[in-house]
Amino acid sequence: MAEQALNLWKDWRLHVVVFAIVIVTEFIGTHEISIGPGVILLLPMLYAVIIGIGLFFTPLIKKKQSINAEPLVFISVTLLIAKFGVQAGPALPQLIDAGFALVFQELGNLGTIFLALPIALLLGLKRETIGMTHSIGREPNLALITDKYGLSSPEGRGVMAIYIFGTVFGSIFMGLASGFLATITPLHPYSFAMATGIGSGSMTAASLGPLVAAFPEKAATITAFSGASNLLTSVTGLYASIFIGLPLAEKLYTVFTKKKEKRVEKNSKVV
Amino acid sequence: MLKSLQEWVMLFVIIGFMILIGNWIGYDVMPLAAMPGIVTLALISLAGLVIHRLIGYKKIPSIAYIGILAFVLTIPGVPGSEQIVAWTSKVNLLAIATPILAYAGISIGRSWADFARLGWKTIVVGMCVLLGTYLGSAIVAEIILRMQGII
Repeated sequence: MAEQALNLWKDWRLHVVVFAIVIVTEFIGTHEISIGPGVILLLPMLYAVIIGIGLFFTPLIKKKQSINAEPLVFISVTLLIAKFGVQAGPALPQLIDAGFALVFQELGNLGTIFLALPIALLLGLKRETIGMTHSIGREPNLALITDKYGLSSPEGRGVMAIYIFGTVFGSIFMGLASGFLATITPLHPYSFAMATGIGSGSMTAASLGPLVAAFPEKAATITAFSGASNLLTSVTGLYASIFIGLPLAEKLYTVFTKKKEKRVEKNSKVV
Repeated sequence: MLKSLQEWVMLFVIIGFMILIGNWIGYDVMPLAAMPGIVTLALISLAGLVIHRLIGYKKIPSIAYIGILAFVLTIPGVPGSEQIVAWTSKVNLLAIATPILAYAGISIGRSWADFARLGWKTIVVGMCVLLGTYLGSAIVAEIILRMQGII
């Protein structure tokens, strides 16, 4: 946390509002919505984001509170990280057994490129695509793209767009999607647990919550796997983006756009 | 450093209190029973933040120190590990997540205007970005866990 972020604890207005949100949302409690074979879990934390966003537009929350809230997300996430850690220690033998899976699932984070890049191109986006899909576009990636292309370049606009999308909708979307995917797909909850470490504290919390709630008997192992995976991603994530993600996105972009150009040429010849 | 330390301690007191109450309402754990667990988690976090501040090398994020410290302290056989596990198990993970996301929501409000300016294409691509990383990791993990016979 930066030096200028001092005296945050004196912002009583912010803390009282958050405390009120916690009380209200915990009283509402957890609810389930079944959609076909899947279950969407509505957890207190999801109402908390939505109420939080909504309150920004009321006189209760002023700009100052919103600015102060940002470092507070970080400070409170540290408690969650500690909780991950203390669940992981006792599970050490299991973690060693699962070591390979933990390390290699990091490569799965590149899935974002394979899924999102072709779709972005189909939607007609140009070089923005590279910024948008080389990673999940959190702070380190924003820094990487800014460093390499500049923030006003198409790549910079792309990463910024995904950064904003992730900031606003990331935790809500992951919170809804994670439990649902874990219940409709044949994949094991442990695999999803490893997948929750994606390089953003609040998104990890949001995607882990429904897993823990949906598989309470496996909660300790799920948390341990998630914590280990989150730890790995937080240390290796940026380097994976620099050495694999970004070059791969560039490469795929070239391959796809060349094909497209050829097809366009062919079509124009036929015509 | 001293000022930051005071700041961090005060914040952990405030957030810890909220978690205790949320843990009580949502998960029926009496605040006194969960108190040692929250204090332990806060001390570990605090230690991680201090280590990060003291060590000049900034490329390792402070959450890495916190995660590793908490992990090492609870490895079976480490003195006191059982006590830490017993205390912290009283603090429900979801009770920690609620105040985090409440702060997140309030901070997100400011980005709403920026968000409104983004086109629908960004929303589609953004969802694919998140789904891609989540499903991609889960599929790779599934394959290897099955090969190893763990699941």
